[in-house]
Amino acid sequence: MKKTKQILCGLISIILLFTIIMQAVCAQPVKHLYSEQEILKVAEDIINWKKSDNKSSVNGYLLNDAFLELAGTTAGDWFPIGLGRFAYQDDEEGYLAVIKEAVQKRYGQAEKLSAAKATEWHRISLSVLAMGGDPTHCGTYKDGNSINLIADGTYNRGKTAPLGKQGINGWIWGLIALDSMRYEIPKGSFYSRDDIITEIIKRQLSDGGFALSGKVSDPDVTAMAIQALSPYYNAEKSYTYNQKSDNKQMQKSVRNIIDEALVCLSKMQLADGDFASWGTQNAESTAQVIVAICSLGIDVQQDNRFIKNGNTLLDGIMKYRMKDGGFIHSLAYQADNPTSLPNKSNSMASEQVLYTMAAVWRQQNGMRILYDFRAEQSTALRKRISNLKSKISSITNKTSKSDIEKLLKDYYSLSESERNYVFNYVKLSDVAKGLEINILQLANKTAVIPDKGEEDGYLPVYFILSDRIAVSSLPKPLTTKQYVEVVKLLTKLEQSENFDEKETYRQILLNAKNDILAIQNEIDSINAQVKNKLYPFDKISLKDKAVVDDIVNRYKKLSEYDGQKIERYEDVLKTKTKVDNYLRAVIITVVLILVVSILLILVALHIRKRRTKKRHEMEQLEKLYEDE
Amino acid sequence: MKKDFLAIGLIVLIIAVLINGTHIQSVDEYYLTHIDDITTETDTVFVSIRCDTILENYEDLSSELQSKEFVPTDGVILAKTEYVLRPGDTVFDILDRSVRYNKIHMEYQGANANSFGSIYIKGINHLYEFSCGPLSGWTYKVNGVFPNYGCSKYTLKDGDVIEWVYTCDLGRDVGNRWMGEKAS
Repeated sequence: MKKTKQILCGLISIILLFTIIMQAVCAQPVKHLYSEQEILKVAEDIINWKKSDNKSSVNGYLLNDAFLELAGTTAGDWFPIGLGRFAYQDDEEGYLAVIKEAVQKRYGQAEKLSAAKATEWHRISLSVLAMGGDPTHCGTYKDGNSINLIADGTYNRGKTAPLGKQGINGWIWGLIALDSMRYEIPKGSFYSRDDIITEIIKRQLSDGGFALSGKVSDPDVTAMAIQALSPYYNAEKSYTYNQKSDNKQMQKSVRNIIDEALVCLSKMQLADGDFASWGTQNAESTAQVIVAICSLGIDVQQDNRFIKNGNTLLDGIMKYRMKDGGFIHSLAYQADNPTSLPNKSNSMASEQVLYTMAAVWRQQNGMRILYDFRAEQSTALRKRISNLKSKISSITNKTSKSDIEKLLKDYYSLSESERNYVFNYVKLSDVAKGLEINILQLANKTAVIPDKGEEDGYLPVYFILSDRIAVSSLPKPLTTKQYVEVVKLLTKLEQSENFDEKETYRQILLNAKNDILAIQNEIDSINAQVKNKLYPFDKISLKDKAVVDDIVNRYKKLSEYDGQKIERYEDVLKTKTKVDNYLRAVIITVVLILVVSILLILVALHIRKRRTKKRHEMEQLEKLYEDE
Repeated sequence: MKKDFLAIGLIVLIIAVLINGTHIQSVDEYYLTHIDDITTETDTVFVSIRCDTILENYEDLSSELQSKEFVPTDGVILAKTEYVLRPGDTVFDILDRSVRYNKIHMEYQGANANSFGSIYIKGINHLYEFSCGPLSGWTYKVNGVFPNYGCSKYTLKDGDVIEWVYTCDLGRDVGNRWMGEKAS
């Protein structure tokens, strides 16, 4: 018994040693391997940096009310994506309440979210998903119908404007949004998935990568194209299309295209492990490449193609980590560029690194890739996939044809939307092709064995005491500063279980919301009035007095917080001074003319009086003479 | 007799004042209402707004914008105009002043609403980013150079010449070399 144990131990150590040697032979020596703990620490430090940048506390929300005012903008949506993909607890309900209002409001305009940028729909869809919401029901139209950001922003976008009106980004992010929950495209829609895929791949450049324009590939755009195409890496389908850059006819699978793009990215990687875009070495390009690599299940720290001088992509990105925990765009200081301070963290680099860390962390834990927002795979499904993967990795040239066919059947019995998680399928596919197995035929004959996912439980929401206190302590009068808070409370109230005073609270909150919207309308109206009535300044005359006084009076009625939202109030003061000066001049003129008139009359009277007096004296004198 | 002369003297004085104008102001008021007056001593900058590149790419322009109202036939939305440089004025301040004074439409995204931390000009004279193809939008030069950062972060100095230009090709068609060098 003891001997067997010894033999077993010896055997295990030999195997271990062998694997270590094999790894050393296969992989370049890496300077440092980042553990899950280290990745989580990097993420936590970014979150804490942003909280302090936001003037929130370490225990407070990153998505505090000041931040939530930005929901629906490029500055307001990427941090939620990073937080959500880490399952970091923050104010998800608050974000969803505010974004719903913002979307509804923007849907009131003819162009809805944007006339040209479909990526507005994509970014908001992803952040809504990350916060646990549903982009296919994001607020309602006036008639009560749901707003569907996925339909309007992806497969039906073409009904209003081409998805790619803004360029390749529109197609790429459209596909990412469409596949975020593997949404089905209904019949009669404008675009099919293949339409969008074709629009992306025909923009590939001759060096294998992608760019916004021109013929030289850019790491960010190349990486984003891979992120979008990654769910189709295993598909055996071949596309025939005309390449845009040289109008050559091409026939390629998505796998061919991604493999070429990876070669292109590998060539672009610099000695430190990072990348340069637009001539500047920076954090964000490296971030996008990491997300792309993870989306294909390629080990981000071990793959030879992305290790330079022993530096991995993670070494490349950590270069940009600042002492305060945030990240910086570039270490190169440009004297004329105040945003390039070489030691000041900035939001764009930090938010991109945050979700990049989520992508790495998800890889380390065998979770879904960054932009796959479906519920995590069930334990049973994970096991099915990992068994298949280990069987594929142990294929040798001695594996029999029937065994290969069996593995293919295992693969095609997985539902199509899960197949991209068999990250080493390409090996199976290549061997099968070498053995002249008809993969497509076999795939068609194989029935899909669906996975019974775990069902979500229903969690009741309660409008708790602290919520009720928050309602009663709303300030009076309200200002637009309370908008986010009121919208959050109202949304929570509407989702909450019934209680006695629910209707009373609803009325208070609805009134508060209407009051705040009225203030916002007043602010907008004053701003428009200033723009329309006060310029050009040299045309201002006394006739404008009523308008100017009206603006000043309305401004004075606003709270200090709301008053700050009046743009260029100094111009109003300037105009008011000018008009008041005119008025004063008129008054002075009138008064002076009056004084002159009175003086003239007085002098005239005086002269007449004196003359009369003189004549009187003369007459008396004459009388005296006559008497004599 | 003496009193009369005094009164007449006063009348003459008042009439003189009236002829001279009764626009009497305090120093502060004078400063406030004359802040934009150009004299030999004031610091000034120049600004112009042009969209010549659209004329060369007219077929790419959104159809609803294909009108002289939005794209003047000479491409000039605002000819070179001189403005007083107030302390701390940025490129954005001068643009905002010039469009307000000339009643030209302009829409921007506030500095806190994007991750660059600078104001982003979305549209001028109803011409927006992407209105004329996927590589189109507004960009600016100061003294012939394209700064690669936001207009609300560029603080101006006396004599600076700002040119707002619409590009249909990520800046290359208006001579932006730092954007073009890699991809050309």
